[in-house]
Amino acid sequence: MVFSSLLFLFLFLPAVLILYYVSPRRIRNLILFLTSLVFYAWGEPVYIVIMLLSTVTDFSFGLLLSRPKLSPRQRKGIVASSIVVNLALLSYFKYADFLISNVNSVLGTNIPLTDLALPIGISFYTFQSMSYIVDVYRGKVQAQRNWIDFGTFVALFPQLVAGPIVQYSVIAEQLKNRVVTVELFAEGVRRFIIGLAKKVLLANNIGLLWHTVSNSSASEMPALTAWLGIIAFSFQIYFDFSGYSDMAIGLGHMFGFRFNENFNKPYTAQSITDFWRRWHISLGSWFRDYVYIPLGGNRRGTWLQLRNILIVWVLTGFWHGASWNFMLWGLYFGVILVFEKTWLLRLLERSPRWVRHIYALLLILVGWVLFAFEQMEQLGGFLLAMVGGNGSPLWDANTGYLFYTNAILLVILAIASTPLLKLPRRGPVQLICCFVLFVLSVAYLVDATFNPFLYFRF
Amino acid sequence: MNKGQRSDRILVGGFVSALLAAAVLFLALPMQTFSETENRVLQRPPELSWSHIWNKQFSLEAEGFVTDHFPMRTSWVQLKSEMEQLRLQQENNGIYKGKGGYLFEKFEQPDDAKAKEYAEVVQRWAAMHPEAGMTFMLAPTSIGMYPERLPWLASADSQRDVNAFVKEQLKGKLTFLNGFDFLSDATDGNRPIYYRTDHHWTTYGAYLAYSAYSKQMGWEPLPESAFNIETVTRSFLGSYHTRSQFSGVKPDSIEVYTPKKPLHTTVSVADDRSTSESLYDTSFLSKKDKYSYFLGGVHALMTIKTELPAADVQLDKLLVIKDSYAHSMLPFLTSHVQELHVIDMRYYNGNISQYMKDNGIQQVLFLFNTATFLESSELLKLGTKSSV
Repeated sequence: MVFSSLLFLFLFLPAVLILYYVSPRRIRNLILFLTSLVFYAWGEPVYIVIMLLSTVTDFSFGLLLSRPKLSPRQRKGIVASSIVVNLALLSYFKYADFLISNVNSVLGTNIPLTDLALPIGISFYTFQSMSYIVDVYRGKVQAQRNWIDFGTFVALFPQLVAGPIVQYSVIAEQLKNRVVTVELFAEGVRRFIIGLAKKVLLANNIGLLWHTVSNSSASEMPALTAWLGIIAFSFQIYFDFSGYSDMAIGLGHMFGFRFNENFNKPYTAQSITDFWRRWHISLGSWFRDYVYIPLGGNRRGTWLQLRNILIVWVLTGFWHGASWNFMLWGLYFGVILVFEKTWLLRLLERSPRWVRHIYALLLILVGWVLFAFEQMEQLGGFLLAMVGGNGSPLWDANTGYLFYTNAILLVILAIASTPLLKLPRRGPVQLICCFVLFVLSVAYLVDATFNPFLYFRF
Repeated sequence: MNKGQRSDRILVGGFVSALLAAAVLFLALPMQTFSETENRVLQRPPELSWSHIWNKQFSLEAEGFVTDHFPMRTSWVQLKSEMEQLRLQQENNGIYKGKGGYLFEKFEQPDDAKAKEYAEVVQRWAAMHPEAGMTFMLAPTSIGMYPERLPWLASADSQRDVNAFVKEQLKGKLTFLNGFDFLSDATDGNRPIYYRTDHHWTTYGAYLAYSAYSKQMGWEPLPESAFNIETVTRSFLGSYHTRSQFSGVKPDSIEVYTPKKPLHTTVSVADDRSTSESLYDTSFLSKKDKYSYFLGGVHALMTIKTELPAADVQLDKLLVIKDSYAHSMLPFLTSHVQELHVIDMRYYNGNISQYMKDNGIQQVLFLFNTATFLESSELLKLGTKSSV
């Protein structure tokens, strides 16, 4: 199930809210756990087994780890086993076909693909479970002894399918004790509506522009059309993803949870280093805490630090999808970060603000080209079109059409990417805005399912 | 309670009651089974069973059920359409809002492979019937004919090229009649050849097609003065309007051409074995789908028999394989052809060669519009063994 569906909004959510609030406190986690399973099983009835397997494994490993009188070797062994299980699940379902097809093309073999669909949210919940085991190992948190509470942590439907990646240490206490005030619930509603509007009104509509551009042939595309397209994609991915995070955080509030923020106006970044502090923060922190720092972080000399940066960013890229372009995308940012760390940031600090801003945006946009095309030829063709290397004119009538029919939306998107437009925390203006955004979002949701069947057309 | 707390309470109360109200309305309102606006049967309540849950049928149907029966569905869709127009978007759900009240369906360059595949199967089938005369009429849709009426700076890929391509593929056995040839002269006139809000041609457009076909067959087409031309409705909002829900669109009129010299025709629809004395079904004029006034809409197979004085008979039997563009054009042919056999291949699964043999048919007309033709995978049935 997705948040931006009528069934979720108008049947599932009210049902869960009612169930949750009429139940006595001690069974509320159970209610959340069970409804989360329904939420997950809705789209993936079979794969729920995998999620439960990952959950049970890490719950048991956590209990094992908390036993006294374990030798350091045994403790390491337990953590390693947990990581192996999670990575094995992730690799098998997400990366096996990528590996097989590459082996096939390099060795000329003909190993059949698994052709498995990617279980929803597997990249998120395996990462959450691993963070738990490592934190227990590090003594940062106590092992969870209540399987319902642990299950709730892993399966909690607001963040189950698309994050933010909630580290166990953040909500360990909230699983036991949490208070929902009217204020927190209201904040949740506000965040949810903002997130819904970002997804349905902004991301989906600018996504149509990207769809149009990315589906036309790059070999004849005017440069400005290509730029317009990739700008559209940048907005689409940001508002889609951050909208989803907002909805998750908002829903969390409605049940008394406080998750960490996942985005902080990433397109106002002044450098790529800055961008990655603002983009998908929960993933960045995860890689920092569980890969970068264990590899030695910045404590073992410059060369090792640079190596660590590259490793982390290639992995970050690969986490986004089993395809070379995602690795390339990660490597691209890794290299830029290495440059920034060694000399570029010092240079940028001496430049005017707008130069830093344009520098960062240009690199981010080019990064999105790498991200958007899984096929290398398409990727190359599009980059070529952006620099006018395909011999097409700078723009044509269609560029003009795409621009003016989206101009107002683009202005809204640009403003919404900055801190300029802030909804007041409370009061009539906020109430009216929330009302309007919600009504419009529902209208767009209903329209998306409006499907006139023109049987007489054929 | 301070102001801030009151604001929070209103927000929470408002949100929760909105969710509940929608849920209650949804469950309480009577469920329709058919949507006039969308012209389709709506999703029925999902059936709960383990196997349906397991194969996701339950969740898919449940989602379809909720969205299909969402309270005040059309109003929501109209609100969205309004917002899109406010933000200067010139299209909605694949429909352009063109100049002069014209709506157009977007047309994107198809892949030639498909056009080629369909044309080839027609060509091969035609070659298997050397004794029969075959004509292929391909009419553009309105966007192909009126590029200058598209929204400012909007462009459409060329249907002219597609038609030329298909013509090239069909060379040889079939006589090709290109809509661009017989409709172009009428585009600058005051008389519409296409509906502004629907994807069909007007009766006048169909008349031009009839004239072109008659001339190609060597018949003398009846002049317009041989018909009583009447407007049967002025409130036709067609499929383009339905999909886009653009506001401020003027409805179309539908005209009917009745020969001044009365003819007696009998229409037999094989689908339900019904017969009728009229080529028109007036009951549709009070419904949404007004174009079905012509011949009562789509049928898999029907025959139209006309009692003609021997002097007027130009042809005894004609088989028409067609899409719905034919519906407003066929009535004209009744002045020349005694028996029209009309097949819609999307619904007809019989063997067409056999049908021709059984009925002694020697003359075939294919009639499609360019957009439909490119989606007519059912033409491939002509290539399967059972049709040969």
